[in-house]
Amino acid sequence: MKKFWALFFFFWPTVAIISCVIAPSRGWWFPSPPMSRTGVQIDGLFYLILIIVTITFVATQYVLAYALWKGATKESGSKALFSHGSHKLEIIWTIVPSFILVFISLSQLDVLAEIRVISKFPEKATKVAEVTARQFEWRIRYPKPGTELTTVENPGDLYYVNELHVPTGKPVIINLRTQDVQHAFFSPQLRVKQDAVPGLVIPIWFDVREVGNYDLVCAELCGWGHYKMKARIVAQSQSSVDKYLKQLEADQNADGTKSEAAASGDE
Amino acid sequence: MSLTPSLKPLALAGFLSLATVIAGCSDSAYQSSFVYSQGTLSLMREAQDGTKETPGVKKLLDDRFGDPQHLKAWGKLPVDFGGTLTSVEEVSESEPGNKIIKLTVEEGKSLPMKAGSVKFVTGACSGESVQVSKWNAETGEATLAIAPSKEIAAGDACAVDGGTVLSSGRMLYMRHCSHCHGTSGDGNGPTARYLNPKPRDYRHGVFKFTSTNDMSKISRDDLSRIVKYGIPGTYMPSFLLMKDDEHHAIIEYVRFLTLRGEYERKLVAELSSDFSEVAYDSRLKAGEKKPEIQSELQEYLAEDLKESASTLGDELAEIWSAADTEEAAIVPSMPRVTDTPESRRRGRELYLSKTLNCADCHGIDGAGNGPQTIAFEKNPQKANELYNEPGLHDIWDNLNQPRNLQLGMYRGGRRPIDLFSRIHAGIKGSRMPSFKNTPHEDIWHIVNYVLSIPFESDPGATAIAPSAAAESVAAPALVTAPTPK
Ligand code: HEC
Ligand code: HEC
Ligand SMILES: [Cu+2]
Repeated sequence: MKKFWALFFFFWPTVAIISCVIAPSRGWWFPSPPMSRTGVQIDGLFYLILIIVTITFVATQYVLAYALWKGATKESGSKALFSHGSHKLEIIWTIVPSFILVFISLSQLDVLAEIRVISKFPEKATKVAEVTARQFEWRIRYPKPGTELTTVENPGDLYYVNELHVPTGKPVIINLRTQDVQHAFFSPQLRVKQDAVPGLVIPIWFDVREVGNYDLVCAELCGWGHYKMKARIVAQSQSSVDKYLKQLEADQNADGTKSEAAASGDE
Repeated sequence: MSLTPSLKPLALAGFLSLATVIAGCSDSAYQSSFVYSQGTLSLMREAQDGTKETPGVKKLLDDRFGDPQHLKAWGKLPVDFGGTLTSVEEVSESEPGNKIIKLTVEEGKSLPMKAGSVKFVTGACSGESVQVSKWNAETGEATLAIAPSKEIAAGDACAVDGGTVLSSGRMLYMRHCSHCHGTSGDGNGPTARYLNPKPRDYRHGVFKFTSTNDMSKISRDDLSRIVKYGIPGTYMPSFLLMKDDEHHAIIEYVRFLTLRGEYERKLVAELSSDFSEVAYDSRLKAGEKKPEIQSELQEYLAEDLKESASTLGDELAEIWSAADTEEAAIVPSMPRVTDTPESRRRGRELYLSKTLNCADCHGIDGAGNGPQTIAFEKNPQKANELYNEPGLHDIWDNLNQPRNLQLGMYRGGRRPIDLFSRIHAGIKGSRMPSFKNTPHEDIWHIVNYVLSIPFESDPGATAIAPSAAAESVAAPALVTAPTPK
């Protein structure tokens, strides 16, 4: 039985190593590759931490298993060794982790600044829409085609809900706000996550690399209907976005007479 | 080694808690039932429950609509229950006990591609549902997995995969809507108490945001828009990402609940003046005898109500089907008037005019604070009593605040046609009246004005005197409208 526990603790780091080796080829990894430029950098940081943590985990678990094994194979009746600890060891295991932590925090500063610091936003990023979270949906407001997005509503702005169209291949800025409580704008495939805070308009930027539909979900437990806050980010070429907005404008100006219906298409 | 024994209870507790979670997820946890309305419960007991020979309101309702676990599809209703209605052309047997039935459909309809089960609607086997083991979509021959208990005869009607839309609608409704709108569609789910405005109680058969005339029901397209886009400014969320078939199923289920509720209300309306508990008591006081009233009720249930039970179904079918026709739709007789400062000014004049008097409710500057919001109203439920709080009340008996038009939040949609419909047909069930007699051109002027209110730099600042405005159309008025785009 004693040996069982030693083997038990030997087993887990071994499992960790095996899964690290086979995971990439089996697709046991992130559900999707990062679909934005900052997403690649964020994944890089994630892997950095994962590597550090895995090495630490495996090493300490093997040491633990070894110690257990030593104890388990001792002849019965042998005396235990009393130790009051080791000053040198304690200094080592304080300094080493603190160096690791300082290293991690310094190495992510650049990426953090790029994502969050407004003065570091890409210069040619365009403001495409305002996304307002509310219990329990995402309300979207696009500026009237040909005008700039502002924090106040303007006549001719276009409105939609739970579906955000953005152009691919260029940085875009979304103004994020909330009508009620705290929510979080989270697109797993784009690796974008930002809290929406009452009273603030928070710009976020990202660039989508490929045309496609991406999830937009709420990542801040915001009430009993939190799970309902599912929306779609539709990334398409700039010309498709323009066409979509034109259609949206026609729909929004529908006056219910036949000519208008014909012009707007699917009325 | 003292670790192992102490681990055991822990593991055991873990298993136990897992077991309870699984048990909690079993089917029995989802047992739910439709509740009867207050109206039904206010009737004399015999009117609710019926007597031995004659059904009361509850049984009439259950026979036609069932309960959530056993929904019934009353063929009369304009609801797509799913499945194909067929009739048996001939019955044969390939070997003893192995029944094959040949099914046909009405002229113009086609046999379904797949058939999982058939449910007999008429004939000796009525109500029985049988699995189909083999299906030939060309000939309509269905091999039944087991023979039903009674004889099948040619001419029996049966539904192939009947009720599939309704039952999937129910599942979706329970998942997405029932916590607000309630299992029975009474607008009283567990989360409803925290909301303002309250979730819709479907049972009146009245819906606010429709593109149909003031006397018409809501159309399927309107329901579809509401479920897709939600109602901004209220807790009704958007279900845009729902798949098309789910969307269809849920709307049909909402119609089913609505019709159940409306049918119940109509039955109760037939009985309540003479046979409610209150009426019963006052009739006793007026000197009538208990046996007399009861035999009168007995007679009423057996004859009048029995007849109404079927004619009411026809009436409902007619008005609800009519809502989806072109005649019901609001179509402006002219396109929207160009949105110019003059048009907005004319709109504002109409808004303030004595005849339309929007300002009476919405306030001179559109802030939703007109004089009507501070007056105490009579409570129609209680004779000669006022409501406890000032303001208007809707048919659901909730406080009905006129919209603050400065916010630019349009619950029924912000398209010009949406606002046109709101003004033309009113907001049904609410206190926003219909202005259907107003010329369409004038309605467009008002729409232009209403859409400009959120962008006025100083709403309501105008030289137009309230209510005198309509008469002084020609008078120069200063309207602070932003320059047109
Ligand atoms: C969070 C609560 C909530 C949920 C969930 C919800 N609703 Fe509603 N719903 C409301 C409220 C509140 C209203 C009333 C808004 C008003 O009166 O302006 C409403 C109104 C409606 C109306 C009436 C619109 C009209 O024109 O009168 C329909 C139909 C409706 N809901 C259908 C649904 C369906 C179908 C679902 C599920 C897919 C659903 N609702 C889920 C809260 C909810
Ligand atoms: C008797 C009071 C009353 C009068 C008169 C009245 N309204 Fe309303 N109005 C209401 C109420 C109450 C609501 C809110 C209804 C609801 O959603 O339950 C409303 C809602 C509205 C809305 C909001 C529609 C939406 O989709 O959100 C508009 C626009 C509106 N009214 C315009 C008008 C105009 C224009 C007039 C005059 C032609 C007018 N109202 C006259 C009571 C009134
Ligand atoms: Cu949220």
